[in-house]
Amino acid sequence: MMPDNLVELQAVTKIYNQGQANEVIALKQVSFTVARNEMVCVQGPSGSGKTTLLSLIGCIFAPTSGRATIGGKKISRLPDHFLTRYRRELTGFVFQHYNMLDHLTVLENITLPLLPLGISPGDRVRKADRLLEKFGLSHRRNFSVTQLSGGELQRVAIARALINDPPIIVADEPTAHLDGKLSREVVDMLASLRDEGRTVVIASHDPIVSAHPAMARIIEVRDGIILHQLSGR
Amino acid sequence: MRPSTGLLMTLMILSMLGGAVAHTVLIKRGEQAENLQILQGVVASLGLSDLALSTEARYTRHPAVSDPVVVSMDHPGAIDHFPSTFFWAPVARP
Amino acid sequence: MTGNRLGRLLNILDYALSSLGRKSLKNGGVFIIFTLVVFLFASFQLVSRALTEAAQTVLATAPDITVQQMSAGRQVSIASSAKIPLAPIFGIKKIEERIWGYYFDESNGANYTIIGLPARAGDSGGTQLFGLAEGRLPVASERGQVAISDNVRRQLQLGNRKHFSLFRPDLSQASFATVGLFAPKTEILTADLMVMNLADARDLFAIADGFVTDLLVSVANPNEIETIARKISEKLPGSRVITRNQILKTYKVVFNRRSGLGTVCLLTALAAFVILAWDKASGLSREERKEVAILKILGWQTSDIMLLRFCESLSLSLLAFISGYLLAWVHVVFWGGALFRPIFLGWSVIRPVFSLAPPLAASDLLLVFSLSVVPYLCATAVPAWRAATVRADSVI
Ligand SMILES: Nc1ncnc2c1ncn2[C@@H]1O[C@H](COP(=O)(O)OP(=O)(O)OP(=O)(O)O)[C@@H](O)[C@H]1O
Ligand SMILES: [Mg+2]
Repeated sequence: MMPDNLVELQAVTKIYNQGQANEVIALKQVSFTVARNEMVCVQGPSGSGKTTLLSLIGCIFAPTSGRATIGGKKISRLPDHFLTRYRRELTGFVFQHYNMLDHLTVLENITLPLLPLGISPGDRVRKADRLLEKFGLSHRRNFSVTQLSGGELQRVAIARALINDPPIIVADEPTAHLDGKLSREVVDMLASLRDEGRTVVIASHDPIVSAHPAMARIIEVRDGIILHQLSGR
Repeated sequence: MRPSTGLLMTLMILSMLGGAVAHTVLIKRGEQAENLQILQGVVASLGLSDLALSTEARYTRHPAVSDPVVVSMDHPGAIDHFPSTFFWAPVARP
Repeated sequence: MTGNRLGRLLNILDYALSSLGRKSLKNGGVFIIFTLVVFLFASFQLVSRALTEAAQTVLATAPDITVQQMSAGRQVSIASSAKIPLAPIFGIKKIEERIWGYYFDESNGANYTIIGLPARAGDSGGTQLFGLAEGRLPVASERGQVAISDNVRRQLQLGNRKHFSLFRPDLSQASFATVGLFAPKTEILTADLMVMNLADARDLFAIADGFVTDLLVSVANPNEIETIARKISEKLPGSRVITRNQILKTYKVVFNRRSGLGTVCLLTALAAFVILAWDKASGLSREERKEVAILKILGWQTSDIMLLRFCESLSLSLLAFISGYLLAWVHVVFWGGALFRPIFLGWSVIRPVFSLAPPLAASDLLLVFSLSVVPYLCATAVPAWRAATVRADSVI
């Protein structure tokens, strides 16, 4: 079963391009945990290491040193193959830049993670339709993603993150390109995922996010270290 | 229809066409086999040594019995004048 | 689990086919070039295979040994008296004299092959055996008779007439009567033939008495052909002795990739593949890189991306290969290799009509396959690997 702490980082360091001239130490000895069914916000100025931290939680890469345990699985020093497996079983990622494949429709984009799992087209559509309905996107189902507005795109991104029904949702600046009302909607949506029993980690410097009533904690990152953690309202 | 089904069907249609071609070829070869026997008789009775395909040069009309140096009559490195020698390899030395 | 694996394969194949279809201009171009290369190469292979096979079968009854005289590197007439030293060789059944040569018809540019038949015991054999559609072969006892092919009859514009004349070297006329017509089915051997008796041929070509073009030696025991041929060449210095095996050997290699057309087909194939491979190998575009990174971040494994690329290359090259190969068969069997006919018949005025039916050989198919699909897959393997190893975090 899932442990109490879905995310456990102990003295985690992440160095990009280690040993090269353009070496960057993006995270330094960071330790923190996120409990199951908790919603936390990672805050910090640009370049402070938010995306790096979220990528670690999202099993996109392993830390350079330190221990990282996601959903009970130790991901430090793991071959790519296993990292990818944990990534698709444990986490759903909502990107800062949507990261949609422009030549595909909404439906096709959402079901991309299901292809290598061998799920039949019928089942894929059924799963996707349920999510599209939930996020009010049914009428955009067969649109090209290039025809959608920013708010719609962000909802498509959330739907895609949920397609494998992961226990952890990671969202990197989900409100960056949205206006106030839409931002509020998106955060509400993410909060509703927490209400379903998922763990949600959001990186943002948007006050609408950090001030959301469902936010349990706010983690302040600066230059790759955790400055302080505040509990939410 | 799934694209993979389309591919599969295309492959099936192509292999059916292939089967039809193969069938025709086999029938044609059956007919040819009889004719080949007649041709063997012609060769034996006339003492022929070559096929009458290209009559444009000695070494394409009678490659088997023309002079071994006939292809390089002008110069061993010369390019041949005849289009058919583009298809026929130079006569092998026995 | 196997169901899941099949599902994964089908899903990824679907995705591969749709992305092939999306870049339809580029992939359509690759498909057409690939098909064309396979078509050309396979057509050449099938035509030469059919001709080689026909030659090997038909010429299995060619003369055991042909003896010619060489002088200054050229073939010249051989003296009939050359028979004398050969007579004591044990194992020779029969030595026949033959005169053959070409007659160039200035009025239409056709080149006929004239054969002066040696006198034979069974001169008036059955029509069927000699491939004659009507009439008979000329006999030694009567002068001025020829058997010709229908093609020659047309070239001479004989119509229903039987008589025609040819020029001797001194421009005097020799007249002939047609006594036999070769069946059109035998054109691959008889298209340009005018068969007459030895005396007529000698007269027409003005070859001196006591000389012939070559001697045909029959051997009692086929196993001894090579030995006897060696003995003959020892007895007749300056002669060229051609055995049936050598004739067959000549026809084994005369239509093959050593010929210019074979080389050109191979070279186009090679050039096309270098271009295709270069195109594939010349770096990943930003778009491709982004697509792979997104797929990986969404949980696609490196092996999934490899499979995707493999499905793309395999379905494209396999479809092109099958289409090209089928087209080649249609071209060779139904259109008689029409594209190559002008080349392998060249400027010949007399063009034999014959059909090509190459054998269905798995080895031929495998050869074309391994020279087209296999190199393509190999050429795309490296870029596929490079694409598959794009890191997931490169889009974040
Ligand atoms: N792939 C990479 N290679 C090298 N350096 C990187 C890479 N990704 C990020 N960095 C560096 O690591 C540091 C942390 O980057 P990160 O993207 O985590 O910051 P961030 O807090 O998300 O910033 P922003 O608010 O602008 O998105 C930065 O100095 C950045 O330049
Ligand atoms: Mg960032």
